[in-house]
Amino acid sequence: MEKKKIEEIEEEISQRLASIMSCARSRIECDKPLHTLGVDSLSFVELLVFIEKEFDLKLMETTIDKEDFKTIHSLALCISKIKK
Amino acid sequence: MKRYLSGIDWVINTLDYLGRRRSGVGNISQIVLELLGRPEEKDLRKRLDNCLKAIPALSGYPKRAVNLCPYWKVSGRSYPLALNVYNLDNDSGFTEALSIFRDQLDKPFRNKREHLVFNLIYCRDKTYFGMVFDHRLIDARGAEAFLSMLAQEPQELSPLNSLEEPSNLNRWLDKFRSGRKINRVFLHLTAGKPRVLTLRQNSSNSRLSVFAFSAQESRVIADNSYKSAGYLMLMPYLLAKSIVCLHSIFEQRKILPADYLIPVSVDSRASDLVKQEPFFNHLSFFLFRIKTEEAHDFAVVLDKIRKQMYEQVKIGLPEAIKEASFLIRIAPLPLVDFFMRVMTKGETASFAFSFLGESVFAPDTFLGAKVCNLLHLPRIPLPPGLGIFFNQYQGRLNATLSSVKGLLSESEVKQVDEYLKGLA
Repeated sequence: MEKKKIEEIEEEISQRLASIMSCARSRIECDKPLHTLGVDSLSFVELLVFIEKEFDLKLMETTIDKEDFKTIHSLALCISKIKK
Repeated sequence: MKRYLSGIDWVINTLDYLGRRRSGVGNISQIVLELLGRPEEKDLRKRLDNCLKAIPALSGYPKRAVNLCPYWKVSGRSYPLALNVYNLDNDSGFTEALSIFRDQLDKPFRNKREHLVFNLIYCRDKTYFGMVFDHRLIDARGAEAFLSMLAQEPQELSPLNSLEEPSNLNRWLDKFRSGRKINRVFLHLTAGKPRVLTLRQNSSNSRLSVFAFSAQESRVIADNSYKSAGYLMLMPYLLAKSIVCLHSIFEQRKILPADYLIPVSVDSRASDLVKQEPFFNHLSFFLFRIKTEEAHDFAVVLDKIRKQMYEQVKIGLPEAIKEASFLIRIAPLPLVDFFMRVMTKGETASFAFSFLGESVFAPDTFLGAKVCNLLHLPRIPLPPGLGIFFNQYQGRLNATLSSVKGLLSESEVKQVDEYLKGLA
């Protein structure tokens, strides 16, 4: 994967989440906790599967912490660090 | 006017057919608002009448078009409103209200056009407002959105997109591919009969227990879930707890060991979309299989559920079920029922489970009365005749144990009740 900026990663994740939840991209705010956006267990797992495929990661084998999953921004930051 | 039914709608219609064939009552549920105050009956009657007239789909019924695609016939003729009113002046409060709601769940609709029955129970300074609904017309989250609409002034009723649905008589190759995918998974998951409880007495009536956790208790459950299952994993956590709880009942009964099979309905639509499209079914399913010898160990069960959920999302099972179910619409209900029984060897599941998540119902008041809680009371006919259901209203968790009367003994019900209470 070519090196992507955090903003690009955020945008990709946001677009995918909007598609999973069948809502407008504008409703997805990157610094809000996912549960306040209406993300549930299914949409969360769908998002994880997308991240693994898109960014070629095995999330369970990384040092990614529960806290890293809380917002799109923290996720993007974490993905960017792992891919460095 | 017609609204084509989706494949999932047809699966729900099959479950309705199965329920009516076995117990005389279709696939129905009830949603209940607990209100502080006493809304006027005549105001409610007027509001309901206006709503039923404004939405003709509420008195429609399923038919089949010349292209063989089933549809919901939407006629301009509305059906007279069914509103039952009760006054309870004793101290039994919610217990008696619950028994009224339970009795209503065992009554069939009066005719093919009736899909909603309302129950208004005045109980001193509180009121319980229940809506029995036909799952063919509306799913659980849709029912929450519909109650939100009822809480609004009639002129605020928004146009409904859900009455526009294409026939989906295209992209057959995609549908067959999805069918092949779910067939492989189902053959693996449904190998061998699942472990099921047997009925102790001949009955088709319902039994219900409800637990409303306080805000503090709900936070404790959410914290425990976060610690042991991870962020946003409340559904797998509650399912794992439910399996461990019911496993102890199966073990005490010395039911022949077999794997537990639990279908879980899911709908990941954002709440705005549910409000725009409250009618018909927008769900899909996960199917979890847990070995008997592992079912006592909560950590193992939780791990299995998370892994199976991840694998099923990875192969796109929920989407494939939605897509492939279009293929069965051509078959009449008795035939779909027959194939479902053959595929599942007569036993569809060990028990039913769902976690609805935060409620779509938004208003703080209903006809001037403060909304204190929102409950779901689903009717679970045999098979499997047993289900545990969770929903969340303003961050507070509710659990409902629904079963066919006689499937669990009173001491077993008490045991499950204690376990569910002990979650907090």
